[in-house]
Amino acid sequence: MTTSSVRPRVALPSLTLVQRLGLLAGVVAFIIPLAIDIPGLEPAGERMLAIFLLAILLWVTEAIPLYATATLVILLQVLMLSDQALVGGIGPLPPAASYFAALANPVIILFLGGFLIADGAHKYGLDRNLAAVLLRPFAGNARRSVLGLMAITALLSMFVSNTATAATMFAVVIPILAALPTGPARTGVALAIPVAANVGGIGTPVGSPPNAIALGALEAQGQGVSFIGWMFLAVPLMLVVLLFAWWFLTRRYIKADTPLVLELSANFDRSPAAIIFYVIAGSTVLLWLTEPLHGISSSTVGFIPVVALLATQVMSADDLRRLQWPVLWLVAGGIALGAGIGNSGLDAWLIGLLSWDALPLALLLLLLVGVSVGLSTVISNSATANLLVPLALSLAIGLPIDPTAVGVMVALACSLAMALPISTPPNAVAYATGEVPTSAMALSGFVIGGFGALLLALAMPSLWGALGLL
Amino acid sequence: MRLALLILEDERAVREALRRDLAPFASHIRLEEAEDVETARDVITEIDADGDQLALVLADHRLPGTSGVDFLISLRTDERASMARTILVTGQADQEDTIRAINEAQLDRYVAKPWQPELLCQMVREQLTDYVVSRRLDPLPHLPALDAAAAMTLLQDRGDF
Repeated sequence: MTTSSVRPRVALPSLTLVQRLGLLAGVVAFIIPLAIDIPGLEPAGERMLAIFLLAILLWVTEAIPLYATATLVILLQVLMLSDQALVGGIGPLPPAASYFAALANPVIILFLGGFLIADGAHKYGLDRNLAAVLLRPFAGNARRSVLGLMAITALLSMFVSNTATAATMFAVVIPILAALPTGPARTGVALAIPVAANVGGIGTPVGSPPNAIALGALEAQGQGVSFIGWMFLAVPLMLVVLLFAWWFLTRRYIKADTPLVLELSANFDRSPAAIIFYVIAGSTVLLWLTEPLHGISSSTVGFIPVVALLATQVMSADDLRRLQWPVLWLVAGGIALGAGIGNSGLDAWLIGLLSWDALPLALLLLLLVGVSVGLSTVISNSATANLLVPLALSLAIGLPIDPTAVGVMVALACSLAMALPISTPPNAVAYATGEVPTSAMALSGFVIGGFGALLLALAMPSLWGALGLL
Repeated sequence: MRLALLILEDERAVREALRRDLAPFASHIRLEEAEDVETARDVITEIDADGDQLALVLADHRLPGTSGVDFLISLRTDERASMARTILVTGQADQEDTIRAINEAQLDRYVAKPWQPELLCQMVREQLTDYVVSRRLDPLPHLPALDAAAAMTLLQDRGDF
């Protein structure tokens, strides 16, 4: 009997032209600041500039995986800008441990808790069952059903990764899609899910990695934002953009009399393990929402379910292994990069390149949001946040605006990019179903993302100010 | 990278019937045919050289030269095809052949001729999905050929980038 099959060969992916160019340009861009004396920039700043340029090129071209670039950033900072630097003599440098510490930054711990709860929700079928129960009030006609679908997708996406939310909702919706006539109605339903998953991700700190990157950078500057504080800043925008997206998608794609049956059976797991999970997850969310009452920071609260779920064996070592470690590493790389840019004096030098104060504040914010949306349309949202959050926060030093507003704006803008299949994983899923032509995705992404970006840049800062949130 | 499906069948009419019934997959995966085991091995070499992956084999048993079951057993020690799912499509395998196919070739499905086209398509879809799941491949490029709802589980722990 041959029960032991041979081990399949591991085939390395071949690099595309863009990736090869990215590697080459990355190496060249890395060497230039080290080889040439840059006026006005200290040696530490020059080293950091080399790392930053390399990171830009690798993250933009994805010449190596995004998380690999993140680990490279940390390694290079240790080898060039720490007490263990290979070449010293540029004054006192922080200990290597301070760079490695990015992997255990409180924001990473917060995400660890968020991920474990999200994975548990899937393991115990809570995500699908909640979707089934919450969809019921929206049954009736197609437009109302799509509103329900978007509301539930967004709600899940606030606590679960956008990708996993889209996967769960598509698993529910694909059989229903098949019952609709081919054409605009299917396109509308299949677009509603990624749009709601992307936009829902802005709602809480654990909703999407750019939020974590902004939070981490703000905390490093002593400008921490609580869980509920973030929600007050982001949820109003989220709701308005969702409603607008629903109005746009249904008016464009779904006729008022389209029949659509979205009846799902809920079958809640009532096993002891599942009940313990509901209690732990519910308590964690409650503690996150009530931080002003008890003062326990959201990261500390996030670590409680990690301990409780593992101790009760509701979540196992296997579940721990399956966590999205690449995302945590990517966020850690961004936090380390941001810290390095601040510590090395590179931030002041970069901002000094242009006289930003010559521009009106509103135009500057519009520019910042525009660049964030534009870049994250074509590259990863998290990589965009990794590159732009540190820059935006340095920029904010010289501006008559709260740095928190600027950091949050960049993070939210990264999540509003959804015009292409490559913009976000939920878009890629929708596109792969074959129900959404690229042109439809581009149009909805441009209209909905553009609406959100204008609102974010022009209305949100005054709203935040008027509500006394900053 | 495309997923490849190999039809191993010596009778031309049966090969053509299989290809016709599997037409819904034609634009989403690579469909290959071979009339004997020697040709099948060449096809596997071609698939591998193009950077594609053999995901599923539909093999007849009684063939000129090496039998279908012996071929399926040999696949298990071929690093290019050891994970491929296998379906025996035959009217002529006796009990001993069938036992060897299950125990030694780890046969996944058995289809007796004549087959029902819809059931065959459904079976192929399931097996392609199982292949993608067992190799933890990105299901998105192959989604139209897969059980899309089942393939979504692969995306659960992918994370936002």
